[in-house]
Amino acid sequence: MKLTTEQFRESLVKAAAQIEAHKDELTDLDREIGDGDHGINMSRGFQAVQKELETHGAYEDLGDLSKQVGMTLIKTVGGASGPLYGTAFVKFAGAFKGKKEVEGQELAQAFIEATEGIKMRGKSEFGQKTMVDIWTPFHEALSQEADLKAAIEQALRDTKERVATKGRASYFGEATVGVQDPGALSSALLLQEIVEVLHG
Amino acid sequence: MVNLILVSHSEKLATGLKELLAEMAPDTPILLAAGLEDGSIGTDASRIEASFDQLNDDGLVLTDIGSATMNAELALELYSGDRTIQFVESPLVEGAFLAAVLSGQSKSLTEVVDGLKKEFA
Repeated sequence: MKLTTEQFRESLVKAAAQIEAHKDELTDLDREIGDGDHGINMSRGFQAVQKELETHGAYEDLGDLSKQVGMTLIKTVGGASGPLYGTAFVKFAGAFKGKKEVEGQELAQAFIEATEGIKMRGKSEFGQKTMVDIWTPFHEALSQEADLKAAIEQALRDTKERVATKGRASYFGEATVGVQDPGALSSALLLQEIVEVLHG
Repeated sequence: MVNLILVSHSEKLATGLKELLAEMAPDTPILLAAGLEDGSIGTDASRIEASFDQLNDDGLVLTDIGSATMNAELALELYSGDRTIQFVESPLVEGAFLAAVLSGQSKSLTEVVDGLKKEFA
């Protein structure tokens, strides 16, 4: 499985469409266990990313693309998701620097670094019912060359049943069991589109 | 004098806090990076970074909850100017009071940071 600059660009355009399609669901989930702005914030950010991707000429490489997307997300998403997703893409930019395509363990390593970036920014760990609960099993599946789609679906199911212990949702305690974490869902939407282009 | 940068989700909250601080330490420069551009609730790394350009001395960043801290830390990483700026985790109101008073006593950034860490660690 190989990720080229053009494939990465394509997956992000598709992810923007997925986030737009799930905008209300993301907001409704966040209204239940947060401040109710996740869908709106993610939509604003990924619409800006889509515009950037469609109007920008060819990107030099994966690193260049990742950096532009990261800065756009930081500037436009707001909320907690802006710095978290922004940091993930800035970490991609470091891992992908100067590379037009990556595959195998090098690709897995980039996702490990992005996940570490999210954990560092949010001071979070796996198992706290956050987006980290999706990114971690994803990079593990990538490293082990396991079924990526199945890994995301399983991670979503597991995350839904956890108690939130990080971020605003943690104020809701036990009431968060059985409610999907909005950041986990938006992460799954993004990563699923990356899987699609990897399999393409 | 150490400048304070108050990072809050709410512009009203930060403006109110600035008023409170002016009573205690009228000379301490207070900058605000609060709310979003359109006045709505939220924090924004690029707005926080922009506030750093108004510093007239070293700066101390104080935040309210969650993403304010994330965005402040991100803004510090993005900042490429010459000022020394530090962030200390503390309750916003109490931390800002102590920092404003210490700054008003002409303490250095290191002394202000140590004072906050000692009080809120």
